Amino acid sequence: MSRRSAIVTLTITLVVVYGSLILTQATGTTPRLGLDLQGGFAVVLNAPEGTDPEVIEQAAEIMRRRIEALGNVQEPEIAVLGDSSIEVQLPGVTNRDRALAAVGTTGSLEFRPVRDISPIPGVSPLFFQLPPEDPTTTTTTTVPSGSTTTAAPGGTTTTAGTTTTTSAGTTTTSAGGTTTTVDPTAHIVLPDGVTWCDEVEQAGCVDRATGLTPDPDPLLDAFLVSEPEDGGIVYHVAPARVLGSDLTGATAQFSQTGTGLGEWVVVLEFNAGGSVKFTEVTKELAAFPIGDPRRQFAIALDGIVQSAPQIASSVDPNVGIPGDSAVITLGSSPNQQEEASNLSVVLRYGSLPVAFEQATVQSVSATLGSDSLDAGLIAGLIGIILVAAAMLLYYRALGLVNVIGLTVFGSLVLVVFSLLGELRGVTLTLAGVAGLIVAVGITSDSYIVYFERIKEEVQRGRSLRGAIDHAFSRALRTILTADFASFVGAVLLFFLAIGSVKGFALALLVATVCDVLVVIFFTRPAVALLAYSKSLGEGGRMSIRGAVGMPAEEVGGA
Amino acid sequence: MSTLSDLYRGRTHFDFVGNRRKWFAVSGAIILISLLSLVFRQFNLSVDFEGGTLVEVENPAGASVAQIRDAMTALGQGSARIQTTSGGDGIRVQTSQLTPEQEDLLVERLAALAGVDPGDATRQTVGPTFGDQITRSAVRALVVFLIVIGLFIAWRLEWKMAVTALVALFHDLIFTAGVYSLVGFTVSPATVVAILTILGYSLYDTIVVFDKVQENVRERGDRHTYSGIINMSMNQVFMRSVNTSFTTLLPIGSLLLVGSFLLGATTLREFALALFVGVAVGTYSSIFLAAPLLGMWKEREEHWQRVRLRVERRGGVEDFAPRTVTASVDHTAQVLHQSGAAPRPPRKRRKRR
Repeated sequence: MSRRSAIVTLTITLVVVYGSLILTQATGTTPRLGLDLQGGFAVVLNAPEGTDPEVIEQAAEIMRRRIEALGNVQEPEIAVLGDSSIEVQLPGVTNRDRALAAVGTTGSLEFRPVRDISPIPGVSPLFFQLPPEDPTTTTTTTVPSGSTTTAAPGGTTTTAGTTTTTSAGTTTTSAGGTTTTVDPTAHIVLPDGVTWCDEVEQAGCVDRATGLTPDPDPLLDAFLVSEPEDGGIVYHVAPARVLGSDLTGATAQFSQTGTGLGEWVVVLEFNAGGSVKFTEVTKELAAFPIGDPRRQFAIALDGIVQSAPQIASSVDPNVGIPGDSAVITLGSSPNQQEEASNLSVVLRYGSLPVAFEQATVQSVSATLGSDSLDAGLIAGLIGIILVAAAMLLYYRALGLVNVIGLTVFGSLVLVVFSLLGELRGVTLTLAGVAGLIVAVGITSDSYIVYFERIKEEVQRGRSLRGAIDHAFSRALRTILTADFASFVGAVLLFFLAIGSVKGFALALLVATVCDVLVVIFFTRPAVALLAYSKSLGEGGRMSIRGAVGMPAEEVGGA
Repeated sequence: MSTLSDLYRGRTHFDFVGNRRKWFAVSGAIILISLLSLVFRQFNLSVDFEGGTLVEVENPAGASVAQIRDAMTALGQGSARIQTTSGGDGIRVQTSQLTPEQEDLLVERLAALAGVDPGDATRQTVGPTFGDQITRSAVRALVVFLIVIGLFIAWRLEWKMAVTALVALFHDLIFTAGVYSLVGFTVSPATVVAILTILGYSLYDTIVVFDKVQENVRERGDRHTYSGIINMSMNQVFMRSVNTSFTTLLPIGSLLLVGSFLLGATTLREFALALFVGVAVGTYSSIFLAAPLLGMWKEREEHWQRVRLRVERRGGVEDFAPRTVTASVDHTAQVLHQSGAAPRPPRKRRKRR
């Protein structure tokens, strides 16, 4: 390596590494710390043996949604482990009970008759009720938090089919005439038994701002949306009539109809109790004319409407849909294939007889987490200092390359973890820190392999500069072979193992790659430059020559 | 002094292959003891494998183990395992698996005794099947890893090297497991991670050593017996191996001491201990077990037997032929002391023929 190219390479390397270090740290991009380093709550849930992988995915999705509803959880991490477990990590969460409730229960699957459908997506049908006589009440837009204005439920009873249902009434009674500001929702009449959320905290209440039911009660009317993120259709649904526990299975099938056109269908299987209930509810729904929104039932999983099929025109209101199975027809396009399989998964998950079993529940206190981090960092620092001292003593000037090289390596790893945390949400765990500390030793090995090789070449009678170049190509071969073994090990561990093993594997993986980069782009030019230097190359005790000694006698003899 | 200087310059002439019986006896004894310990003492499995509840709190109030024992007995948890951590600054209680209510009660009592907020307790509840899961995934990873690495070494170096490298690896594994069982340290998922690292390190070290052997075979091939080449290679890489394990053990040792005894991170201690033992034995096995084994095995090949005959016919007393061992092994510290050695070493025997 010529002096010029050594200087250029070295400069570029140092600028890139330290530049990106300064850049990431200045922009506040630091590694994301794992649960064990910052404290928090983690749980691993096991599904019963033989559970459908899609069902697990669906469950993880629902947990994610519930955790987001918990609020103030910074970066929850929900991962499917292996083929039947879900790991949920909630950094910084201290309320165990709420967190456990959010992740630990099965989805509640409900079949609810539809009462009404909102004409505008995303807006609750409640808000389409006509305001009562007094128009001034609608002019106030602020909602006082301690409002005493209440809307009493209306009392009109309509009879539909064979059951008695309460529809939105038309009478409003204003209670507590002492308030001056009037709630804009005052004129809205809630169904029987349902209250606004800010009055009584209870299941089934309706949120004043959205007009939706965040936590539906199966025994009460509810206002549920089909796609909560994109303002889906909002349904006003009646109490649940059939539950997930009434279902024994659901499969997506492609069925050939009489006309020769195939269609995607979901076949529902009910148990004895379920089939009776389902027949009852379909009888009632079939009583409504075709096209009436009330001729459909909503399938809600965890408060979100997944599907709202119409009762087929052929169903007799006096008979309903009898038997222990029913078919939901979706259509024939590939789109519907996906829809059918999604729906069947939802139904299967909701009907899972056994809830997820909590395999492990762990909460790490924030102080213990930061203690572990400190311990790891201090240990790492001391380790690096010791290694640096040993290398300086043993290899003298070359040791200096190693010391600076370790800081280059450390910076590189820090940058990579900062970026991984920012871009991919990768966290640095305690096992990861330990992996990095181990990597300090393995990284030093690359230097040792190279330095010993230089010694050897010099012993064989090469000139110092010749030895340095020759030794590099030989040493690189060894380093690559050995690093490849670590690399493969780390990759396999990363993909096959779970939990802390994964964090460790990732740290090792990053460290191995960084090691090779440092060897090529830092160590090589740095050693070459040293060799060109008068005092540190051929010079005295601290020089490379001092460390490697003179060539042996009778060079190239025999 | 001259041995040290030779060590420093990589000019030693230890006979690694010739003394193989000694090394094999040592390794055999190690493995026997480890296996006996594994059979009779077994492992001290952590809560992750056995299932149960583990609660850790800091202990500013200085509650004694006896006080906690009383409190646990009052709760019907008389069989709980109670330990102090961080040199008395913390308490760790491990019980059989509790219901959430029992657990909350236990945490409350414990926190009151120790004088901390119950929210600051670290707790872990593990179902009895979780350990199986971890073990299963680790074993699966292990098997795939061994196959892939074996194939890689066979392709990159030689299949006999792959086999001996794996033998050395099992030696290291059994020994590390034996140490765990003998000392009675808790085997936790962190330990499993550590063991997997040892695998990587053991192979890494053996690969470096074998890489050198193969290079020497290529360069000087038929002029030396295979044992001679192994000895030559071992002497050349000896300082590298010593230095590498030394520099690897330094940070791990600091992790072990600082991390566990000063700051009380028990996870770190269990982790570091396995690594410390594993790295040390990994270095030993790659030099004293894997290389002599390979030498023995290769010597049986027809080609190398012919070479041996030829070398002996020439009356060749070769440089790296077996000769007596002159020094013991561990000179790292002393080597460091004589780092100011004269730049011009004393003349020595010829290095090359």
